[in-house]
Amino acid sequence: MSNSHNNRAAITRRAYAAVALRTMWRRAEGKFALIVLALWLAVALVSLVWTPQSLWTTDGYHVWAKPSAAHWLGTDGTGADVFSWLMAGSRTNLLIVLLTVVVSALWGLLLIAAMVARNSALASTSVVVIDALISIPTVLIALILAVPMGASIAVIVIACGFGYGLNLARVARPAALLAARSAYVESALANGASGWRVLVSHIIPNNLPVLAVQLSLSAGTAVLAESGLTYLGIGVPSGVPSWGHSLATSVKLINVFPLTVLWPGLIVTVVVVALNVFGDVLRDAIDPVANPALRQTAGSAGKEDER
Amino acid sequence: MSQDNGVHAETGATSANNANNASSASGTTGATGATTDASLASRAKNPKKHGPKWWLISLIAVIVACAVVIGVTVAYGKKSDSADASAKNMIADTVTIGLKLAPTNLDIRNTAGSALDQVLIGNVYEGIVARDSKNQVAPGLASSWEESKDGLTYTFHLNKNMSFSNGDKLDAEDVAWSINELIAKQYHDADALTAVSKVEAKNADTVVMTLKTPNSNLLWTLTGRAGLVFDKDAKYDLKTQAVGSGPYTVAKFVENDSITLKANDKYWGKNKAKTPTVVVKYLADDNAAVNALKSGDVQVLAPITETLAGPFKSDSANYTVKAGNGTDKYVLGFNNASGSKLADKRIRQAIRYAINHKEIIASRGGADKALGGPIPSLDPGYEDLTKLYPYDQAKAKSLMAEAGYSTDKPLELSLTYANIYGTELGDQLRSQLKPIGIDLKVNVVEFSTWLQDVYTNHDFDISLVDHNESHDFYSWADPTYYFGYDNADVQKLYNEGVAATTDKERDAKFAEAAKLISEDAPADWLFNYRITTVTAKGVKGFPFDLNQTVLPLYNVTYSLAEFSQK
Repeated sequence: MSNSHNNRAAITRRAYAAVALRTMWRRAEGKFALIVLALWLAVALVSLVWTPQSLWTTDGYHVWAKPSAAHWLGTDGTGADVFSWLMAGSRTNLLIVLLTVVVSALWGLLLIAAMVARNSALASTSVVVIDALISIPTVLIALILAVPMGASIAVIVIACGFGYGLNLARVARPAALLAARSAYVESALANGASGWRVLVSHIIPNNLPVLAVQLSLSAGTAVLAESGLTYLGIGVPSGVPSWGHSLATSVKLINVFPLTVLWPGLIVTVVVVALNVFGDVLRDAIDPVANPALRQTAGSAGKEDER
Repeated sequence: MSQDNGVHAETGATSANNANNASSASGTTGATGATTDASLASRAKNPKKHGPKWWLISLIAVIVACAVVIGVTVAYGKKSDSADASAKNMIADTVTIGLKLAPTNLDIRNTAGSALDQVLIGNVYEGIVARDSKNQVAPGLASSWEESKDGLTYTFHLNKNMSFSNGDKLDAEDVAWSINELIAKQYHDADALTAVSKVEAKNADTVVMTLKTPNSNLLWTLTGRAGLVFDKDAKYDLKTQAVGSGPYTVAKFVENDSITLKANDKYWGKNKAKTPTVVVKYLADDNAAVNALKSGDVQVLAPITETLAGPFKSDSANYTVKAGNGTDKYVLGFNNASGSKLADKRIRQAIRYAINHKEIIASRGGADKALGGPIPSLDPGYEDLTKLYPYDQAKAKSLMAEAGYSTDKPLELSLTYANIYGTELGDQLRSQLKPIGIDLKVNVVEFSTWLQDVYTNHDFDISLVDHNESHDFYSWADPTYYFGYDNADVQKLYNEGVAATTDKERDAKFAEAAKLISEDAPADWLFNYRITTVTAKGVKGFPFDLNQTVLPLYNVTYSLAEFSQK
């Protein structure tokens, strides 16, 4: 019996996802965001097996070359192919963004759980602590981490995950509190539900729209942070392709070769805009209150349940 | 239905252009926009209730118009001002020079760093002897000198009627006191004078220096900080002021920003300052430096990278771009200590064969010079050693194979260097060493980390650093130096060279030692970095060679007329 229930739940979930996607696709900005993110994913996967030129070919006699048939976006200061490096950079950035989102989601949810805890001492202390911690700039955390760890992807992920998790927790607290103090949670608790169950089945689902917006904002900011920290020399280490690396190596010569700076700059801008838009559209699409199509699916699914 | 009503009413209102109608329409919208579900209503985006605020827009328009008018007036007013000035005087009163590395204070006795030598020696302070742009010893405060046959006694004959900028007389007393003080208080560079036993003022214009052992480097050493002469009787704060005998005095010092030099009106010699005020600006950021030159904030920029100088090169009507000789050696130092992966000579040799120096130099703009050994062309004992290890990938591969490595079974090495040199060199070296079976891991770190890990703790495989000091050949005769190169023959030759009493003998010994070192491959010398300088048209007398350590400014002039004619 429980098996069939699970099956049905999976089917409903799939239906929800399909409806949400369709709703997003219907809007122009949603189309833009979905296309950009899909392209990003595709390019990152392709770059694992193929790039137009090997990343490790350098040619000192043809540095800072203009775009040509051999080098579609020209070459950089070592004579390496800019297009290949940007392609390969997309996979590093994708990895950083995914890891940052996961870390900040876990960290943020942990903090939310602490802030809405029934133990009022824990709840009020964590609010104060988060308010204090949120004042530490992400760049400062990264600089401190870089002392023992050196330049590495972990520095970016930990620093950003930590900082954005704090933000997430603070922004999500009111909605989480509303759910945690609601009548249905009280009745669930009275029926013997554990705190963990309340968090997973009531508080998190009620916070999903806020989480979607915050996490996609974090994803966009993580792309920017990668560029900034790599420029400072504490982000992606030398020899690992990333958009920040391409930007950092070319930005010194923006006066002489503005075109070489343009490509990574353009990609970062488009991706960050896409991620931010994606968050907005996703929020509208997965919120049953804002999306009538979702309500209909829920209604029909509910009827099926009753049957 | 209700939604339709609202929209319809509003469009009607705008087309009718009637105040009464509009207010009633907005009222309807507000009333009919509500839905039965309160939470849906709160999320529905309310259409704008009011039209644009015309008074606000017109206010902004007025402010913008005013700002534009004021801005244009100010900008043009300034331009006509400078045009007037250039018409009046042909030679500018002030020349502004853009340099890169700023000194932290003016204390040339204690503070390390060539930035101080560059701006103060020869301009504010003068030494007993001076250095010319060929890195040779020239007369300074002493007009002539004699060396005894055994090389143990130097007699300096000073110029007459010399004075400091505060009016005090400069005589042999001050010279002897300055050098004795340096040795006694162990000021910066005192270790260069360990061979000196005493310095005496024989009479008002004769100084005698006695040595324990002969030192062929002594005179050159005295052209630097070791030979500077200070006023014995003056009391001032060395960190923020400077009292010297040179053609300029320090009028203003702003840490990490600028130094203003004013002509010394009590200057005794013939190198009188041609420009009354020289401002030295420190521009650490390359793009800011280029913009400062373009906008005319500075008239000279040194150093600038060859690539950044490209646009100025093509604008030869307004700028002169020139690379000068220098003693900067980009040293790819190997860890020669026993137990290191590079203790195997075959691997070191393979690396030297595998590096394409010409390509690296070309990628940097082609101004730098190939360097095959530890001595650059401006230092004693120079010899062209670039033929010892020509670019030969096949030979490099076979040497690596002998040592047991190939592309299938690569040797892992790490390269550690400071981020001030950019990431390009590391990327290039990695791809040049890949085909011979070396997997180079590049760590680009803060300079302080490099100092700690490589220079102090000797914890590295390969290091890259710009050894810019002149006459620094001693580092190859010192087994405790960071690359840990220990060769008894080299040490013997070096000591013989130092003890030599003639320059010819010294040069021969150094050259022989340098060849031995290069053959041993304890390092690879990527290139001899030559500093590129850009000057605006109208600037004359600015030195190009060696200008990061020796920068005489007395001859620099800037004629505005030439620049405004463009």
